[in-house]
Amino acid sequence: MSEFRDLRNAVVRGDVVAALAAVRKALEDGDDPLHIVSEGISPAMTTVGRLFEEGDCYVPELLMSARATKEVFAVLRPRLAQTGTKPVARVVLGTVQGDMHDIGKNLVGALLEGGGFEVIDLGVDVPPERFVAAVRERQPKILGLSALLTTTMTGMKTTLEALRGAGVREGVKVMIGGAPVTGGYSQAIGADGYADNAASAVDLARRLIGAEPPQTAEG
Amino acid sequence: MNQQQWETLVAVIRGETLRPLPTAFIIDSPWLPNWAGHTILDYFTDERRFLEDNLKAIRAFPRALFLPGFWSEYGMCTEPSAFGSVSVWEPDEFPFAKKVLRSPAEVDHLEKPNPRKEGLLPFVIKRLQHLQAEIEGAGHQIRFAVARGPLNIATFLMGTTEFLTALKTDPERMHRLLEIATDYLVDWIAYQRECFPSIDGILLLDDIVGFVSPRDFETFGLPYLKRAFDTDVTVKFFHNDAPCKACAPLLPDAGINFLNFGVQHTLSDMRAWTGGKITLLGNLPPRDVLAAGTPADVERAVTEMLSAVEGHSRLIPSCGGGMPPGVTSANIEAFIATVDAVTG
Repeated sequence: MSEFRDLRNAVVRGDVVAALAAVRKALEDGDDPLHIVSEGISPAMTTVGRLFEEGDCYVPELLMSARATKEVFAVLRPRLAQTGTKPVARVVLGTVQGDMHDIGKNLVGALLEGGGFEVIDLGVDVPPERFVAAVRERQPKILGLSALLTTTMTGMKTTLEALRGAGVREGVKVMIGGAPVTGGYSQAIGADGYADNAASAVDLARRLIGAEPPQTAEG
Repeated sequence: MNQQQWETLVAVIRGETLRPLPTAFIIDSPWLPNWAGHTILDYFTDERRFLEDNLKAIRAFPRALFLPGFWSEYGMCTEPSAFGSVSVWEPDEFPFAKKVLRSPAEVDHLEKPNPRKEGLLPFVIKRLQHLQAEIEGAGHQIRFAVARGPLNIATFLMGTTEFLTALKTDPERMHRLLEIATDYLVDWIAYQRECFPSIDGILLLDDIVGFVSPRDFETFGLPYLKRAFDTDVTVKFFHNDAPCKACAPLLPDAGINFLNFGVQHTLSDMRAWTGGKITLLGNLPPRDVLAAGTPADVERAVTEMLSAVEGHSRLIPSCGGGMPPGVTSANIEAFIATVDAVTG
């Protein structure tokens, strides 16, 4: 795993400048953009997620890694499009209606993107009908619903009901997360899965669509 | 909180082990109005309902200490409102405050609000002043000045993602933002104390400290919390139900002597991390057990929680966070009865 070590280290450190320099160098050296994602960015974000789960990395550091990933993807995306590379899957994310909190959603989005998923972020305070429209129009394999408040988490149930009412529930896996959300709540409202932190949300997304787990950035 | 309840609370904080232990809960708008049969918006806008709902809870559970007691609040909107943040109200949802800072650079133009005149703060004070005679007539007093903490206020103004990112990208400006938030907080606490001389405690709520590393807490959390708590009151009460391990060892340095924390940690761990210097209020799972469980589940979980911690000094059983929506009277009764049975 010495390949892309600079890139991986820069992403883990959240060093945007170094990450951009490393990815540009890799492209200049003729590396395949997909290879850069699968061997550089994806293992780095897996490592960041693991460090976060183990309490060795905190939210600001995770956000900085996410920021580095986002900048690197902005460079890689046109190259990936040219090569016809497909993402692992498309995910639509949003914080449910009445809830303005974005931190959990943003972290999940960054880690999913780092893991090779295409992420469409609908933002915060998203009404059920917008989720329905996004599922209908963008046809994601996964819909991720976030809520931070006990008073707004009921928006997840309402959104699932809206998906069923619109006849689009069967075509998409729905995963939920956020501080007040539990596995019991996920089952009770008929979601497909629940993750209790951003890193495990990526594992859950992979499980829901039967994707292979990624490697980590050790070494 | 009546005089006897206050003395009970202070006795535990001073290290007395009471038998049975008192039970206490933080109660506010997520639980109280719906439990009493009203919407959240009616609770916020109708002083009579505010008073009656609080008295109803106190009378229904005379053995419980309700903290901070007659909490005059407008959810998360109270403190940000004075900065010009728009408060958004739904009929029966927790209100939220819209951001006012679109970039870290806008901190340069931020002014410290005047808590006597701006935002919802005069409404907080007036509500209590209008009801003060009745509250005191019922045998209770206003004991706590209450506010969201400096990091929490900063995230309301900027957004959580933006603030936590800017701690890394623009630390000087974030210090400036925290200075302004803390200056405002100090004024706001002083004004509450001036209006209600019976206040002898401060409650600050700040979950954002739970998201940062020990080093960042020492840099961006501790100095500001220390200043906010630097007042001559008996009870310095802090709530953070996000992860608490990183900040716990330094909380006594902020002057905090009473802590409500979440379910991520055990009572024993928290006692060890805080060096036994802080009275712990916790920490039954609020949603999975207290709200979603049966009275039998509550009895079992409270028994396990109390059995797992060695010695019951500086401990007040509660849930890990404020009382969540949907907790039934039967579950509260089960909680109190179990604490009595296990610690009596």
